Amino acid sequence: MQLKVAIVGCGKIADGHVEEIQKMPERACVVAACDRELLIAEQLCMRYGIPAKYDDFTALLEREKPDVVHITTPPQSHLALTKQSIDAGCHVFVEKPFAMNLAETREMLDYAEAHRKKVTLGYRTFFDPPALAMRRLVAEGVIGEPVHLESHYGYDLTGQFGQALISDPNHWVHKLPGKLFHNIIDHLLNKVVEFIPDDEPEVIVHASSIRPQKFGDSRDLLKDELRLMIHGERVTAFGTFSSHIRPVRESLRLYGTKNTAHIDWGMRAVTLEAVGKLPSAIGRLVPPFDMARSYFREGMRNVWKFAKADFHYFAGMHTLIARFYDSILHDLPVPYAYRDIIRVSRLLDQIFSRIEQGHETRAFAVGAGR
Amino acid sequence: MKILVTGAAGFLGSILTERLLARGEKDIRVFIRPGPKRAKLEAIAARYPDANVEFFTGNLISAPDCARAVAGVDTVYHLAAAMSGAAADMFLHTVVASKYLLDAIAAQGRPIRTVLVSSFSVYGVASLGRRARVDEKTPLEPHPERRDLYAQAKLRQEKLFWEYREKYGIPVTVLRPGVIYGPGAKPFSNRIGLNLFGLFLHLGGRNHLPLTYVENCADAILTAGSRPEAEGEVYNVVDDDLPTCSEFLKTYRREVERLRVIRMPYFATMMMSRAVERYHHWSKGQLPAVFTPYKTASMWAGNTFSNAKLKSLGWKPHVATHDAIRHALKSYKASLGS
Repeated sequence: MQLKVAIVGCGKIADGHVEEIQKMPERACVVAACDRELLIAEQLCMRYGIPAKYDDFTALLEREKPDVVHITTPPQSHLALTKQSIDAGCHVFVEKPFAMNLAETREMLDYAEAHRKKVTLGYRTFFDPPALAMRRLVAEGVIGEPVHLESHYGYDLTGQFGQALISDPNHWVHKLPGKLFHNIIDHLLNKVVEFIPDDEPEVIVHASSIRPQKFGDSRDLLKDELRLMIHGERVTAFGTFSSHIRPVRESLRLYGTKNTAHIDWGMRAVTLEAVGKLPSAIGRLVPPFDMARSYFREGMRNVWKFAKADFHYFAGMHTLIARFYDSILHDLPVPYAYRDIIRVSRLLDQIFSRIEQGHETRAFAVGAGR
Repeated sequence: MKILVTGAAGFLGSILTERLLARGEKDIRVFIRPGPKRAKLEAIAARYPDANVEFFTGNLISAPDCARAVAGVDTVYHLAAAMSGAAADMFLHTVVASKYLLDAIAAQGRPIRTVLVSSFSVYGVASLGRRARVDEKTPLEPHPERRDLYAQAKLRQEKLFWEYREKYGIPVTVLRPGVIYGPGAKPFSNRIGLNLFGLFLHLGGRNHLPLTYVENCADAILTAGSRPEAEGEVYNVVDDDLPTCSEFLKTYRREVERLRVIRMPYFATMMMSRAVERYHHWSKGQLPAVFTPYKTASMWAGNTFSNAKLKSLGWKPHVATHDAIRHALKSYKASLGS
């Protein structure tokens, strides 16, 4: 069976969804795209050969009768669109951030369960090849028991996505409870939640802004640096979100009782920290070469994948979408557990609440030339 | 007469505003986006103290901003467009922004002369064959999905203007400039070639380079915008005595800096494009299809260009191409040193 898929919201990220869906014709086909601005829906349909464009989502659901709806609109509309899609008999893929707050998250998931429809969300980096490789190491017992994590997510405000919100004081990101953090730190937190099983870990938050304040509007309110300390009962984590650290990186350091793994999404590499096994000075000479050998091995693995045309930017998105569709077609579990969606959402609420209270935020004054 | 200029803080927009003032216009509203890029326009306005240059800060993708911007205006010069970015952003800032502006003009319920600065990229030249002459009767691109994002957005933008003219009777004139150059702009067009990791891949060869010096281009826009007979018409904008890409590159290397250049003949570019496109499809997009035979035929097959229709309005380039190139390159060289 080929699932009929509709896209609602035809902004930048919709390109990635359509490209990956079109690579799996055995599972699905994009039949229509909808955007409240028809010209934006038109450009997506024109570039990807999607047969039908709409600016009325109700009309799309009635006429196209899709099996799955991908919601790639700003999160302010996710609750209403999810419920409308489910009412029309659709399963729903929701781009992150999933919702505006925990209450909405629960409402969306409860609604889906009550109507026996499946929901997932766009945690694409969670399914990228390095994340899958790390999970294999954990399952094989190589890491031992997790003790601590350092989750780092770098962001470039001069990039395509960053410029979109910096150039527009009315961009939807400025209207989110957690603003820039709300749109991004899912990627940081889902890695933490994976290893901290507690429902309500303790969280310490430091938020700041080190950009020059030059606009005199909502853009100046955007905080761009975030530090988190998260205490579970057995496992702890540091979280770093930075718009200024260079190079821009997405990485995780997973400290275990047997080994420490370093997972780098930009390099697509998973390495174990080398330790000196030989005595004295010799023991300090060898580990750097062990590390070099690990990176060389990862590099060659990537070259091999590249040669096989298996080294795509949206590899994680592809895996996520494929698993979601398989969960629908073969009645399998959804790729990302609802409990974890709720736990990430609860953490987001906690973090934004602390930032809102202002007790644990700071603004640094730096030179205007920065 | 009140005139609105969108994209007024841009490379062409600021020169156009200055030429309007130099022609004696006294009431100009310049539409600029929020942000710090207004110093150049302020300096221009200061040179014409008798004129009223109204700085209108807003966003073209805001219907209320567009409504306020066109209130009381008699002529609109629409220059604002996205030059780069993701597809949705390019369409948002070029096409959707134009729609909001046109909606605001239509809502005024009176004839507002509207002049759109389009682009040569809207022409469908891939199927014309090498050395074909491009004039205003050349068909528009029939396969936008096979072109780059800029061409896609500019084509849809221009079609939108004709749709609104048809639907609301808005008096529209469209100008299609070639490569606009001058002080303050990068000297290289992709029509000459591409800079790849320190090597310049020279793809244009002996093709004519459809240059228009920014001041000549601004004059052309104002000439067409002020003539009643230009309503409903399209005009190509290129200067006279166009150099070939090779000649321009040679001048650049002599006047500005040495470049490591690899000359790639058209047939080799076409072969490479076929290989890139095949690889792109085979690898399911692992590398982008920067080159495809269709894009190559559109960009580097080589055409000749006519400005006869524009000249019939009385326009002529007042800065000679030879002098303009030297002036632009000299300015660019100075900017490299600063």
